[in-house]
Amino acid sequence: MFSKALFKQSMKANWVKWTCVTVATCVMLAIVIIALGSLAIDNIRDSLKGVFQQADQESVLKSNSVDSYELYLTTTQFENGVDTMSAIPGGIAINMMWGQVQTEYEQNYQEFVDANSGTEPTEDDLVKIREQTVEDVYLYFTEGSFGPIIGSLGLSESEIKQFLTVTVMAYESDKTLTETEARVTAIENAFLQYVQDNAYEMYMQQEGSTEELATASSLAARALASQAMQSYKTKSAEEGFVYSKDDFKEEANTYVNQMIYDQVLATFNITDDSTDEEKSAAEQYAVASKVISNTAISTYELWLQEYGNAEKYPDMTEEQEKASAKEQASASIMDQIDEEVAAALKELGEMDMYGLIIGNLFYRVAGILLPMVYVIMVANGLLAGQVDSGSMAYVLSTPTKRRTVTVTQMTYLMLSLLAMFLLVTVVSVVSIWVVGGNNFTINFAEILILNLGAFLTMFAFAGFCFMCSSIFNRSKYSMSIGGGISILMLVCTILGLFGSDVVPAAMRIDQMNFFNYLSIISLFDATSILSGGMDFLWKFGILALIGILTFIVGVFCFEKKDLPL
Amino acid sequence: MEEKEEVIKVTNLTKDYGQNRGIFDLNFDIKRGETFGFVGTNGSGKTTTIRHIMGFIRPQKGSVQVLGMDAWKDSCEIKKYVSYVPGEIAFPDLTTGIAFFKAQAELLNIKNLDYTNSLIKRLQLDPSANLKRMSKGMKQKTAIVAALMADKEILILDEPTTGLDPLMRETFLELIKEEKEKGKTILMSSQMFDELEATCDRVALIFDGKIIDIADINALKNSNVKAYKIEFLDKEEYKKFKKLKFKIIRDQEKYSQVTIQIEDEKINHLFKVLKNYHLKFISEVKFNLEKHFKEILAERLKGGENV
Repeated sequence: MFSKALFKQSMKANWVKWTCVTVATCVMLAIVIIALGSLAIDNIRDSLKGVFQQADQESVLKSNSVDSYELYLTTTQFENGVDTMSAIPGGIAINMMWGQVQTEYEQNYQEFVDANSGTEPTEDDLVKIREQTVEDVYLYFTEGSFGPIIGSLGLSESEIKQFLTVTVMAYESDKTLTETEARVTAIENAFLQYVQDNAYEMYMQQEGSTEELATASSLAARALASQAMQSYKTKSAEEGFVYSKDDFKEEANTYVNQMIYDQVLATFNITDDSTDEEKSAAEQYAVASKVISNTAISTYELWLQEYGNAEKYPDMTEEQEKASAKEQASASIMDQIDEEVAAALKELGEMDMYGLIIGNLFYRVAGILLPMVYVIMVANGLLAGQVDSGSMAYVLSTPTKRRTVTVTQMTYLMLSLLAMFLLVTVVSVVSIWVVGGNNFTINFAEILILNLGAFLTMFAFAGFCFMCSSIFNRSKYSMSIGGGISILMLVCTILGLFGSDVVPAAMRIDQMNFFNYLSIISLFDATSILSGGMDFLWKFGILALIGILTFIVGVFCFEKKDLPL
Repeated sequence: MEEKEEVIKVTNLTKDYGQNRGIFDLNFDIKRGETFGFVGTNGSGKTTTIRHIMGFIRPQKGSVQVLGMDAWKDSCEIKKYVSYVPGEIAFPDLTTGIAFFKAQAELLNIKNLDYTNSLIKRLQLDPSANLKRMSKGMKQKTAIVAALMADKEILILDEPTTGLDPLMRETFLELIKEEKEKGKTILMSSQMFDELEATCDRVALIFDGKIIDIADINALKNSNVKAYKIEFLDKEEYKKFKKLKFKIIRDQEKYSQVTIQIEDEKINHLFKVLKNYHLKFISEVKFNLEKHFKEILAERLKGGENV
């Protein structure tokens, strides 16, 4: 069943081909792995990933800017209100306001008690009393003789009502205050509490927010409001003029920008020991953040104006206007580009370059091209070539069975392939070890399985080419059927690659996936191997089966046929 | 003559490749120690018959037996006794003649290469030459050495002398004669009648896949029937002679020439007759296998036309 002499003869006839193909494939593989390892192809991927993270950060930054801006605006307007009221002739504005609040509040309270036959109001009832008081006081001031004065402040109804709500709360907390200064302080405190409570509610409504987080955020909001108040007080004391509404906005914008700049700079932890490079990097980043914040606020204002157009958007409440404007202003790059493009770019960022180039491009295409040429040539030369030329006659005119010939030649083909891929495996493992296994997303176990897969693929092709070589008496038929179909399958795999999942969506043509169904190389599932799946195992089984069956068919065909020798 | 053992026996062997190609119902046998020749034009079926004997082709009908074994089924066993020089010379993918002989020796399980070396010397072969760059004659010699080296009892040679120069052909034919003297059974095909005539005991003529005739060379050579060519000076006498009852095998009216076939016993009668004629010359036509077969073939074709 096995002829040592014939085996030696096949080795002598084919060792040059074997050596060339093995060396070329090994060198190719080593270059690919070392090049990939040292050039760090994941740089592009990482930078793309960076872009997405930055886009997210930018969105958060913009959203925060708008929030801070709104907060600041409310605070300063409130403060402006206090200030302006204080500036009303006679310095009685706060006292008047306070007095009116006191009158209306007590009246509403009494009315409630009377209406409910003497029972004390609950917390919910108090909210209603407060709201009623705010309405009454607002009407009193706007429709009475104070109307023009209030109007001159340039405040909106909601802003004035907000101020009044705060005053009511200040009054509720301490009804005994008589001094103007004490009343102003109480109103300020009530306002800060109002800001804090609102912020808490707001943060609690956000998804994934915990109580601790909401508390911390609300305290931060209170601090910001307080800071704004102080800064405003100082400024107005120094400059000594009354702000118009537009001035608030400009100041709010500048204030928020500066705050963000300071915060960003602080996160870099720049000390005196820092290098100039670090300092300038931090500075640049902070300035960039400032610019982004500025842009966000300007955009917000523009959209607010747009949504404020009652003709265009008649159904929008003030709250909705603000929310929509904020959404527009905090949009990042990713929100601005097309959804599909964004998904494609994101996929590109998450793509496994090593898996694509080594797993799919090398082991499934480039790395098996030369072994395939070897298999086509050698499989043909082992039987059909010798029958065609007639040299098989010298073997078969000795007491050597045809089965001995086929089994020996098959053994040579298999062993030479095995030896080839053992060397390729050694080269792949050493190369990865040389460039440092950590840089690679492909580990040693995976590279071993990839090599096994490439071997099994070639084993199946070897069986097929051997069968063709056994069936045909002419080299040209054996080559064109066996080799032709093998090369066709390789080409289909190359084309199919552009339709498979390993190629990012931006480059993928789904219809080309059709080609993958035409090639048995698809049974070498590199993606499954690299993603830790188990699917590749049964596909390996099929490849091995193809190889074994075609070899067996080859052995039997050669025994049965006529030989033109 | 004693009845010798049949070494190769071909019975009703048929292989139809269609379009009148192939071999049809061949029957012949080769006895031990006999040298058997195969002659025929290209594509007449010589090689196909030899391939059947070698067990490379499975017969459609009939059978081939070598030493009592079926050539197809026991093809491997038979090879222990059969050596072969293929018609088309192509060597395995090895570098030199030496490498080739060594590989063959290994396949043939030959340990001692002395006999091989003597053959190489005999044929003046340079075995260190590159197999691919050998001339046709060199290749032929190499193939012959490869076939003879195992010293097996049956030799099958498919057109072994093509490509050999006349001197080499002589050496080769001598070698064959020596092998024959050793008692080997030899089957040899050729397109050259003279070399078969010189070496073979019997020669089969194959035409269109059928054996037309098997000539026993020794019997023919020693036959008492001889042919004479006669040219007459006078046309009238030529015509007159033709009317006599001699067996005329060739008639050339243009030259007033006839070739007649006549048994040795009747030679005196012929001369008596010729005494009255004026001849330009008379000469014996020597036996020639080529002519012999051509005559048979011509007859066969004529017969074929009549049908």
